[in-house]
Amino acid sequence: MKVEKSVLLEKKRPLLKRLLSILTDSYEYVSILACDTVGKGYSISKSGIVVQEQQLFTDKGYVVKVYDGESYGEYSFNNITENNIDEIKEAVSESLMPWKDSLREELSVKKYKKMTEEKISFEKSTEYEKDPSEMGDEAIIDALSAIRQNTLDKESKLIDAAVSFSYQKYHKLFLSDNKELEQNVMWSTAALSARSAKGQEVKSAFSTASGIKGAEVIDEIREKIDEVIEKVNLLLISEPMIQGEYDCICAPDVTGMIVHEAFGHGVEMDMFVKDRALAKQYIGEYVASPLVTMHDGASAYTQTATYFFDDEGTLAHDTVIIEKGILKQGICDAQAGMALGFEPTGNGRRQSTERKAYTRMTNTYFEEGTDKVEDMIASIEYGFLLENASSGMEDPKNWGIQCLVDCAREIKDGKFTGRVFSPIVLTGYVPDLLKSITMMSDAKELSGSGMCGKGYKEWVKVSDGGPYIKARIRLG
Amino acid sequence: MIDIILKAIKNNSIEKYLIEEKVTKSAELFFVKKELDMRRMKNVAHYTVTVFRDFEENDIKYRGSSIVNIVPEMDEDMIEKAISEAYYAAQFVKNKYYELIKGEKKEMKVMPSSFENYTLNEACNAFVEALYKEDVRKESFINSAEFFVNKNVVRIINSEGIDVSYTRYNANGEFVVQCIEPQDVELYQNFEYTDLDTEALSRQVREALDTVCARANAKTAPKKGEYTVILSGKNLSQLFEYYAARTSVGYIYAGISDLKPGDNVQREDASGEKVNVTLKSTIPYSLEGIEMKDVEIVQEGIVKNIYGNARISYYLGVEPTGMPDAVSVDNGTVTFEEMKKEPYLYVVNFSDFSVNPLTGFFGGEIRLGYLFDGENVTPVTGGSISGNFIELQNNLVFSKERYKDSKYEGPFAVRIKNVQVAGE
Repeated sequence: MKVEKSVLLEKKRPLLKRLLSILTDSYEYVSILACDTVGKGYSISKSGIVVQEQQLFTDKGYVVKVYDGESYGEYSFNNITENNIDEIKEAVSESLMPWKDSLREELSVKKYKKMTEEKISFEKSTEYEKDPSEMGDEAIIDALSAIRQNTLDKESKLIDAAVSFSYQKYHKLFLSDNKELEQNVMWSTAALSARSAKGQEVKSAFSTASGIKGAEVIDEIREKIDEVIEKVNLLLISEPMIQGEYDCICAPDVTGMIVHEAFGHGVEMDMFVKDRALAKQYIGEYVASPLVTMHDGASAYTQTATYFFDDEGTLAHDTVIIEKGILKQGICDAQAGMALGFEPTGNGRRQSTERKAYTRMTNTYFEEGTDKVEDMIASIEYGFLLENASSGMEDPKNWGIQCLVDCAREIKDGKFTGRVFSPIVLTGYVPDLLKSITMMSDAKELSGSGMCGKGYKEWVKVSDGGPYIKARIRLG
Repeated sequence: MIDIILKAIKNNSIEKYLIEEKVTKSAELFFVKKELDMRRMKNVAHYTVTVFRDFEENDIKYRGSSIVNIVPEMDEDMIEKAISEAYYAAQFVKNKYYELIKGEKKEMKVMPSSFENYTLNEACNAFVEALYKEDVRKESFINSAEFFVNKNVVRIINSEGIDVSYTRYNANGEFVVQCIEPQDVELYQNFEYTDLDTEALSRQVREALDTVCARANAKTAPKKGEYTVILSGKNLSQLFEYYAARTSVGYIYAGISDLKPGDNVQREDASGEKVNVTLKSTIPYSLEGIEMKDVEIVQEGIVKNIYGNARISYYLGVEPTGMPDAVSVDNGTVTFEEMKKEPYLYVVNFSDFSVNPLTGFFGGEIRLGYLFDGENVTPVTGGSISGNFIELQNNLVFSKERYKDSKYEGPFAVRIKNVQVAGE
């Protein structure tokens, strides 16, 4: 089934077109992004049941972008009526745009060209199997409660199991002189976590399911109960990591974290504009093993960051960032593209209509290779299988790695020894790690359960992943 | 708008409710080097409505709830439908009965702020001025900066008589400083002020410009091993939030923490300093309308109070306090200089320092540190520190000097023994 159109946006479309027309009388370029988004979440744990529309995923608002002949300004609001349309125009023309003239003397305004756009109009929707709103609150809560109870029944050592389901159904309308684009998209995620105590420490393991889907992800997470219990039981017998540099096999979620945190943030080209990314100097150079080909794009893969156009009206792309180890190009929003003389790649994304657009990743991954996972493990004389990526932090300027992983299973002479280490900090220099990749498995997996921030803010939905990879990594 | 929401609540025969109204205006500037890249303004309103539904099953009383977000763009029919659907959902939320916060109508609190005398654009310009007036050095400079000045007007009402409101201004943002020689490095900084404290921002910029030069001269990572580590400033708020998490009713009710008043958080034979932690709030009322007061959670290493929201506090039989968002810690017994007499690794800047309150694990990649081997101090970069705070909290030393930002007030520096370092 296709995600249906927004009633609210249909109702407001004529007024928004009028605002566009009024502002176009005064400014060379004007665009309006309108959103009608509902994000609803359900969670069940020992602490109780929570059902809520999640603020981070709920956005019914508008952002106007105008160009005054040399620079851009934006005005965000969430109410437009016949009566206040002149107030909006006044805020833009009398307060926002003249503001640049009141800055201290040695500061200047970065000069941009007028946005160029080809004439295009469409309305597109993603598809899903089960509509969460049709499934209904009662059935969703019952299904999640059963998953939680089943988990607790299977392992008496657990102090709690928590299960959650979230979905966002969003409708976006982009209007400018040349564009009238509309998209209706739904993504869903489900997560199951289990907790056990080891003295004062509480060990927690989780698994997720996600996609451009509906409530069918609840069925998928139900299949992962045994996996989550196994993971948390492994953590209970874990030992502190012994520091050193090791041969490692990274599971797809850890590959995804390396792809996203260690490398992906460094090719966001708004960082090139600021001279904050080392990658800018390495276009055309080997930055990874020839086995590595890396993609990013809203149309590169169907996962939670799939859409038809970005928040600046640029159509979705599939960008090849690394091809056989050589850095080909970065990803780009429209404004950074203008600054660099580079075509935008459909990566201009906002947390909501209340926030600025930045260059952001979408679905980011390494292509699969040709190796079998069992052969990769058999090839390790001494090392670890790294699983359960927990968090990471970017360092585009210096390509330093900081990634946290929950579980390292020891491998000796190609076999698991049964020893497990946790937690683990991955550090080092990104190209060293990527160049050390010698094997890649023949299938990839992407997960879209997480959110991505720019620094410590600006949260957007992303997915990442890849195949199992074999690399040399410094662990602590 | 609140009248329309109340009408929808009445039309749905809903007896128990909580409404938070938040009207936000903001002025935002984005710079690349010394050029204005983007200017933005915002004028929005949001209404978060929680509806409660009481029911009984097998003689057990339940109070279900569901939360819905309303914006002015929704017409009366849309609002009534949204609230009706939330009330329908609440009957399936089988949470044990608890009491809502009771109260009365109070005068609006205007949190004292010098922002009041300026427009948001003028206040934003003042912070821009404070930052860029320091950007006069040859060796290090401002790479980029973002400024957000906000005015929030918040009103909270519920079915039990609560009707409180406040106005709060704040300025927040981030900037990156860069040094190109002898190697090209940068440092990220963020800031938040509830007053037009432009001198504090200028001071932070000067310190950052000094620090980034030091990082440019740091070339090697420390050797792997066990170190006495010193942490300071912003990183300490992460460390002490461990105590805030472990004394919250949410963690206790979920079984993650078994602490109760009178328990030792540190071992009785702990050789280091005893911890004293008080939680504070940067807003006058909680989301449930509770008037926020300081909560002393740990005194001399012993839990004094636990804290939290209405529902879980009711289940645990303690007075609800709301969720304070800032940590205050008593200072220590030695000066920062005395702390540095023994060999140490003083980590000034991490890529991201984090503490997991579930496991006690803490760690981070070193962006800049100073290594003292007993004779020489060497700047270092790279590698990471890691340890478990559950164990290492028993051997802490706090500085006499204090540090304060919007979310942490306490010792400027903390010395921790036996920290693992993954390095060269």
